[in-house]
Amino acid sequence: MGAMIEVQGLTKSYGKNRGIIDVSFAVQEGEVFGFLGPNGAGKTTTIRILMALLRADGGTARIAGLDCWDSSIDIKKIVGYVPGEPALDPNLTGGQILEYFANLRGGVDRAYQAQLIKRLDLDTRKKFRQYSSGNKRKVVLIQAFQHRPKLLILDEPTNGLDPINQQEFDALVREVRADGNTVLLSSHVLSEVEKTCTRVGIIREGRIVRIGGLAELKDIKRYEITIAFADAVPANAFATLPGVSDVETLNNGHAVRLAMQGAADAVVKQAARYNVLSLTSYEPSLEDVFLRYYEGDAGKASKEASHVA
Amino acid sequence: MWLRNIYLKSLRDYRIGILGWGIGMGLVVMSPMASVASLVSTPQARAELVGLAQQFAWNAAAIAVDTIGGYAMFKIGVFVFLIAVWPLLAAGRALRGEEERGSMDVLLSAPRSRARVAIEKIAAIWTALFAMGLLIGLLTYAGGQAFQGEFGLGDALLYGLDIALVCAVFAGITLVLSQFMIEGAAGWGGGLLVIFIVLDMVHRVFPDAENISRLSPIYYFNLSKPLVPSYGTNVGALLVLFVLAAGLCAWSVWLFARRDIGATAQLPRVLRLPSRAAGRGDALPVGDWSLRSVYLRAIANLVTPTLWWSLLVAGLAAWLVVTVQQIGKQLEELIAQSPVMVQFLQTVGGTGASMNATFLSAMFQTLPILLMAFVVTQVNGWAADEENGRLDMILASPQSRRAVVLGRFAALSTAAIFIGLAALGATVLASRVTGVALDDANVAAASLGAIPLGLLIGAVGYLGAGWLRSAADTGLLSFLLLAWFFITFFGRDLGWPDSALRLSAFYYYGNPLLKGLETANVVGLLAVAAVALTVGVLRFTRKDIAV
Repeated sequence: MGAMIEVQGLTKSYGKNRGIIDVSFAVQEGEVFGFLGPNGAGKTTTIRILMALLRADGGTARIAGLDCWDSSIDIKKIVGYVPGEPALDPNLTGGQILEYFANLRGGVDRAYQAQLIKRLDLDTRKKFRQYSSGNKRKVVLIQAFQHRPKLLILDEPTNGLDPINQQEFDALVREVRADGNTVLLSSHVLSEVEKTCTRVGIIREGRIVRIGGLAELKDIKRYEITIAFADAVPANAFATLPGVSDVETLNNGHAVRLAMQGAADAVVKQAARYNVLSLTSYEPSLEDVFLRYYEGDAGKASKEASHVA
Repeated sequence: MWLRNIYLKSLRDYRIGILGWGIGMGLVVMSPMASVASLVSTPQARAELVGLAQQFAWNAAAIAVDTIGGYAMFKIGVFVFLIAVWPLLAAGRALRGEEERGSMDVLLSAPRSRARVAIEKIAAIWTALFAMGLLIGLLTYAGGQAFQGEFGLGDALLYGLDIALVCAVFAGITLVLSQFMIEGAAGWGGGLLVIFIVLDMVHRVFPDAENISRLSPIYYFNLSKPLVPSYGTNVGALLVLFVLAAGLCAWSVWLFARRDIGATAQLPRVLRLPSRAAGRGDALPVGDWSLRSVYLRAIANLVTPTLWWSLLVAGLAAWLVVTVQQIGKQLEELIAQSPVMVQFLQTVGGTGASMNATFLSAMFQTLPILLMAFVVTQVNGWAADEENGRLDMILASPQSRRAVVLGRFAALSTAAIFIGLAALGATVLASRVTGVALDDANVAAASLGAIPLGLLIGAVGYLGAGWLRSAADTGLLSFLLLAWFFITFFGRDLGWPDSALRLSAFYYYGNPLLKGLETANVVGLLAVAAVALTVGVLRFTRKDIAV
């Protein structure tokens, strides 16, 4: 199967403000591609260029082999789109909005549409202005899925959804993938990407910093070990061990917390020289990988916040 | 400094409005003063001016029209209430706008009571209105000084105060309305403004109808003529306006402090609409005509404002015919004795066999203004939709940008044509009922001739929306409308050459009630509109959306 999305050297600036710089990636047909980055990194700018809402200053963006700007209408026939901030006529009901977009787009599978409404538990009688943010998101999700598009472009699609509906959304994405369709899913919630995506691209300050499979990303992740001792131990007992970093002593030296990359054999053997009360290893999540890429001035604070969570 | 509290922040938001409306309306008041000397150059001319003004009393009471201040107040007449557009819009957005944007929740999370938040916002509106009144007063005084007016600085400032107070009343009305409706309070406020203007007119057209006019705040505004020192200011009327404005604002604060944010205050039980039975939860409106295309959706959105504006425009057209019928006899007697008056009327209304038609032709000049005002309000919706991101999902469907923008413009054009047809129907009906003889073909030309002007301002608005945000685009169109109005209605008074008068779009409306439509003018207007729309469409098809 070929590439459904091909982005090459894409650049966009907003006057003096940075947009995206030389962004390149490809999404293969049938793939669920996670597009990760913190707020303002350039995810939405990239997506809006794909949807021909913005015109790139440089580079190319193609969907199904067609130029995103020149062939936007043909492209949009095969795309379902969820914007980051859904804005719709507040005076229309959810049902009217779905019907309106069904008419504008054509080719809606009515049975599937009804199934989506039921699965996401949407009351279609309420006006858009009366919906909670989660229900607004449901309306936008249903209009994107209802015509069974070959490509779904979803910009932070689960913002505001409750956990039950998030699970339903994950199931929908898996079904779409099973049908051989393609998904580009932007998010800053890494667990969401971890559950549904096959490959991930990370964008930071307008530039792609990494693209790889989930497994590949996990390889570069660190994990953390916390060891409690009966007596105080010196921190430098662990600091020089291979693969160890960020060693902290806790409880007046009665515990050590450290970051670990690679095999833990040396750490375990070093700990065994003292009276160990407990040893806890934290399985690294994708969030940790993500944070590592964005560790800057605020990196340490972010990391600590992730532990609290 | 300007971000220290809600009052100052709101006042900061109003600074352009204060300067624009204050100076603009001040200049409008000043300009007729320039022509008074030539209009009263001989005792006969003075007498004829006074006599003629009596026939236009439905527009404004003709008091001392042979003086600088009296003529200025008379000439401006009901058009002084153009300035009420600002308080209507500002009050409509002050509290409800914050709620719709979701910023009221954050504002109310600060340690301030709801009443305090509302009072600070209302105080900013009042301050802005008094600042506008001050600017109007100062410019009026400057005009009086330049053309040897009889009124002093205090009189001019009292005139500004009178305007500020009547505007505060309409701000209060709109604030109260906005507590009972999620949107449209400014539109309803505008509708009430027109009704109150007509109610005030009633006693000047129909004898013994003063009690009806007393129901209108405009009546109390007109009780003061500060620019006519011999007539003076009615302090009691000013007080009535102040108490009315303060009472309405206090009521709106009371309602705001007690209702749910984002919801409406409960109407009394007798005024509530019966609740509609809910349909099935999964029932979708398949087959709903209004959801079939961008054009039809835009039409559906335009239905309510179009009906109201049709009522307004058609009502005005019919009212003008009825007015002619009421004063027709006196008018003919007066005109028979005054060739100067014939000349005056014909300057504004054109020449024709029937004096009724000549008089009506002069009055029909207001129709294109109203139609264009309607279009300006709707162009604002187009620009705002893009700004608020509401076009993103439509443009993410397989619709070309050109089809979307043209669909919206076509809907606006349809609404403008509907309003023109409503005016035509009302005028023909009123002339049949009252017996005022009018040429049907020319009535059609006068009613439908306003449509190209509506299309022109709409096309210019769509062109501007390609570069400007909605507020700036609406401001540009409002300025253009005001400038054209100024050129057409005061340019002659100021002795401007024909080449300058041609700069106004109203010039090309001509006098269709007498002469029918001039094809060249209509084609010219439509051609300029087509060029503006084409450039606007090209711009829209190439621009970044909502950046």
